[in-house]
Amino acid sequence: MSTEQEVNKKIEEGVKEAFPMADNVDWNEVYQRIIYRYSTPHGLQHVKEELYKLEDEGEIIVHHIKPYNNPVKMQSLNGTPKVIPTNKLWQHKSCGQCGHIPGYPTSVFWMMNKMEIDYMDEPHQTSCTGWNYHASGASNPVALAGVYVRNMWRAYEIDYYPLIHCGTSFGHYKEIRNMIVLHKEIRDKLRPIMRKMDMDIVVPEEVVHYSEWLYTMSKKAVQQKKYDLSKVNAAVHTPCHVYKLVPEDTIYDPDVFQGRRPAAPSGTVQNFGAKLVDYSTWWDCCGFGFRHILTEREFSRSFALFKKVIPAVEEGHADVFVTSDTGCVTTLDKSQWAGKAQGFNYNLPVLADAQFAAIAMGADPYTIAQIHWHATDVEGFLRKIGVPVDDYKEKFIQYLADIREGKTEPQYLYTPHRKIDFYLSVPERVKWYKGDKGANQKTS
Amino acid sequence: MFMGKKMATRSVLELPDDPRFMDMAYEEQGAVSEEERNLSSLKPEDRETAVKFWQAVKSDFRFDEYLRGCLNCGVCTSGCPAAKFYDFGPREMIQYMMRDEADKIWEFVNKKVWACVQCYTCSMRCPFNNEIAGLIMVLREYSVQFALESAKEILAPYRRVLYTVMTMGNQVTPDMIQPEAFPDWGPQAVEESKNMDVYRKSIPVDLMQRTDIGWHPSLQTAVEMMTIMFESGVMDSIKKVDPDLYDMIEDIYQDRKSQLEEIKEKWEKHELNENELPDSWLDL
Amino acid sequence: MAGERVMVIGSGPAGLSATKELTNMGFNVILVERESYLGGTPKKLKYSLLFPELRPATEVIDPLVKSVQESKNVKFYMESIVEGAKEEGNGFVVNIKDKTGKVTSEKVNAIIAASGFEHFDSRRKYEYGYGIVPNIYQISDIERMLSENKLVTTKGTPPKRVAILLCVGSRDATVGNTYCSRVCCAVSVKQAMEIKERIPDAVVHIYYMDIRTYGLMEDKLYWKSQLEYRVGYIRGRISEFMRGPNDTVIIKGEDTMNLNRALVVPYDMVILANGMEVGLGSKQVAKALGLQFEEHGFIRPSDPDRLPVQSTRKGIFLAGALTGPKTISDSITEGYAAAMKAYEYVTKGIWDESSFGKAVEVVKH
Ligand SMILES: Cc1cc2nc3c(=O)[nH]c(=O)nc-3n(C[C@H](O)[C@H](O)[C@H](O)COP(=O)(O)OP(=O)(O)OC[C@H]3O[C@@H](n4cnc5c(N)ncnc54)[C@H](O)[C@@H]3O)c2cc1C
Ligand code: SF4
Ligand code: SF4
Ligand code: SF4
Repeated sequence: MSTEQEVNKKIEEGVKEAFPMADNVDWNEVYQRIIYRYSTPHGLQHVKEELYKLEDEGEIIVHHIKPYNNPVKMQSLNGTPKVIPTNKLWQHKSCGQCGHIPGYPTSVFWMMNKMEIDYMDEPHQTSCTGWNYHASGASNPVALAGVYVRNMWRAYEIDYYPLIHCGTSFGHYKEIRNMIVLHKEIRDKLRPIMRKMDMDIVVPEEVVHYSEWLYTMSKKAVQQKKYDLSKVNAAVHTPCHVYKLVPEDTIYDPDVFQGRRPAAPSGTVQNFGAKLVDYSTWWDCCGFGFRHILTEREFSRSFALFKKVIPAVEEGHADVFVTSDTGCVTTLDKSQWAGKAQGFNYNLPVLADAQFAAIAMGADPYTIAQIHWHATDVEGFLRKIGVPVDDYKEKFIQYLADIREGKTEPQYLYTPHRKIDFYLSVPERVKWYKGDKGANQKTS
Repeated sequence: MFMGKKMATRSVLELPDDPRFMDMAYEEQGAVSEEERNLSSLKPEDRETAVKFWQAVKSDFRFDEYLRGCLNCGVCTSGCPAAKFYDFGPREMIQYMMRDEADKIWEFVNKKVWACVQCYTCSMRCPFNNEIAGLIMVLREYSVQFALESAKEILAPYRRVLYTVMTMGNQVTPDMIQPEAFPDWGPQAVEESKNMDVYRKSIPVDLMQRTDIGWHPSLQTAVEMMTIMFESGVMDSIKKVDPDLYDMIEDIYQDRKSQLEEIKEKWEKHELNENELPDSWLDL
Repeated sequence: MAGERVMVIGSGPAGLSATKELTNMGFNVILVERESYLGGTPKKLKYSLLFPELRPATEVIDPLVKSVQESKNVKFYMESIVEGAKEEGNGFVVNIKDKTGKVTSEKVNAIIAASGFEHFDSRRKYEYGYGIVPNIYQISDIERMLSENKLVTTKGTPPKRVAILLCVGSRDATVGNTYCSRVCCAVSVKQAMEIKERIPDAVVHIYYMDIRTYGLMEDKLYWKSQLEYRVGYIRGRISEFMRGPNDTVIIKGEDTMNLNRALVVPYDMVILANGMEVGLGSKQVAKALGLQFEEHGFIRPSDPDRLPVQSTRKGIFLAGALTGPKTISDSITEGYAAAMKAYEYVTKGIWDESSFGKAVEVVKH
């Protein structure tokens, strides 16, 4: 582009920014819209432009969001659109959730079943390896990119759009995506590795966190709400890796804290009718620290308790702590017990937004939300909102006994996998699970 | 040397033995750049590595992109959770980097760099747009690649995590929660580990029913994961910090790869009898 | 020569001084102003005392307003904006739209754009909680509170502990403003002294990275505030504010004179020294007149060194803070300069050319 064209383009952009609604200028509205602005050396816009350029040049494959993903246009920090696909989703699970908070992913699956959303959950996924990376540094950019692209390829080859469960995976993938797009040397080292596995470099056009999906869907989901949450004071902890990594690529909404805090999960809690309470340390991290949760637990515990739980209770009178990431649920939930010995007996229930929403929609707190994996008093909270916890519990204890004796099987949330799927990722697998309907939209 | 200990016997404030702390000593010492002089504060055996380490970090492709400049404003350190508990602050690191202080970076990397909790608050707020948390990761990466003693120490408790991640792609396992290891998590952790087996079996998703892995990956996925780790050079650095672990993973890689190839071949020739496959390759 | 017409857009210090000079020289002026009053930002925000002389703003602005108001050669279009300028003959035909949407056309020989700046909206730095956490104000709010003599906290009492944080929305890449706003240091130091003047036992701390009371202001402001008022200066930029007990505000900062020393301090009132931005008003003018922006988003003069008040479009001149952060006296001076340049242009057809910016410039980020 010549300099003159560039100057003209800049002017046009400036004007568009000043006059988003053409001629009839409502100054107040304009003010509201310019609040959301954040700038980085490589603006997200620039990364996106490069992404499509690389696609045109045949350098990479872009996994596009298609009409059958039912995309919904949301707003990111700068007021620029972020498209959230809401259907035909590939579940990019979190190892920490599946390992220690299993009610987290099962709540997501359960809600998707309730809302008749088509999804695939497969054994062909690895974790993002971000937790290990941030804790130990034992990895490198090419490996991180390889892990990302390999997972994205599995979603791409069956044309399901990846939905990232873990906050760290989400933040980390946003960074890796930018790195792949902006650095040729990474692509050049990555390509031969991908070729070895019969894959190519594929990059989805948006990196989407499940909490963004849940917020986008929450107005619809709430139609199936079973319990009244209007008396609930909910404090929210927004996970750092969701909004502090590549900050411009997270959804914001003027309806949630005037657009000055990420829309999820605060907006989800709000849409489910609970009272969102504020506390002074909402910005602080949970104390997880990647390394710290394992080897510096004194730090994690103190931080979670003194910087998060206590302010939420003392200032916000919170009945429940809602958050949207693996490490945060674990740290906030498990760190409270040790405080008891020192007289800090808070026992503030901690739930993921997915569990919170699923329970409100009537999910079984044990078989679905799996609250027995939580250390805090979730049961007490559920009683407060009118969930017949004791009935559920009685049934669950019986169910566990039956499972133990092999008398019963879980009611699976989706058809269990075939044996072959635990060995090979055969490309036509989706046909087996979904019939022709699922497989008819061939990747372009 | 005329300002030696002899004259200062009655002094309240002790004078340093090292004349380089005194301006008047410049002449004897010769004009030496600050960077060089500082290095002498390190142990002689560390000096060379310290300089090499710093050179390596500076020539990383991310370095100039992540480190842009510094207003010395303190925004990074003041929002930093780790700075509340430890003698650590991101501004400190940025300043050492901006001033090219290989010795200080060396000290930082051997200890303080591990205090950071990777929350990215500093990166998000830095008015100079430094990618501070990313620079911390670059330092950590290189300390593993250089197999520094401090990195080995830090990595020791991560052996199992590394093993799981490299061979299966998951990073944590449900059965990690052993009450002895997590006494501070209270009675629920005890209950959980006691009932781990049945708790897992009751989860209504078939991938999540094992106690030794978050979800059950496919064999092909595990092999691909190891391929990435070997091809990208991650395993080379593991070899340097933990050769035993390397050997273990290498063996597993070879085994699994041949298993996979066999199964794949049969499948492609339509000769595979699914029923003959073990229920889980993880038990092989 | 009488009867030549020049349009001035904006009636701040720059627009007013340009108007005044043009009428003195016998020109007719069409003055277009978005607001319902003359005087620009100093009037809009009800400035209290002006730096550096610490004299009431009214003493400076009112005489200007008065002389323009009384001039018979000025035609006012209040609560109006310009919609476009078409070249015609040796001038322009400009459409002016008022609040009701009525459009009037005026033929003029030249145009002076003096539509000024707008304050950085501190809500955009959301970690500062402006508008959410009580008792956080901007310097632009404090001017009014001082001039109305209502400097109180939400509890209705004068603040006893005040923190002023410099460089809010300036020198900050995260909001896209990497320039210094030039006036906010001086305004803040001035406000600190005003606060101490009224509440002598108050503790006032200024959190700074650099104090830019440049030139003759160094001793009149920075030194004086310490000598006579004991204002405290703490080096470091605050990273976030938290709601404290009893409607106090807790700041989180690092005392950057010492490594890693955290500052967590409560105050009754916190003042954000929000900077200057080109603002939507001037962006609108730029769009209507086809002017260009420079890299920070301000309006680009055709040559920032040699022709600072001449725009990139022939016949259009610039004055005041729309080309970059300025003080009132700078703006008034530019008003004079633009009037003189417009006079030359209209009477003699003088228009200087510049090669600035025409060569390919590579901006490296
Ligand atoms: C808090 C604060 C305190 C300050 N205190 C001092 C001080 O003590 N001493 C000092 O020297 N300087 C001070 N300044 C700087 C001073 O305010 C500016 O230098 C001065 O106001 C600039 O004058 P101007 O005429 O260029 O713009 P402005 O004063 O901004 O005037 C612009 C005018 O144009 C009008 N306008 C805008 N857009 C349009 C449009 N589209 N169509 C029509 N009209 C439009 C506006 O309504 C306004 O009347 C201070 C600044 C700040 C931020
Ligand atoms: S926030 Fe950025 S500019 Fe400020 S001290 Fe830290 S690194 Fe330097
Ligand atoms: S990422 Fe590390 S250095 Fe930065 S604020 Fe968080 S803990 Fe501190
Ligand atoms: S004038 Fe002072 S407060 Fe304003 S931007 Fe410049 S340095 Fe910061």
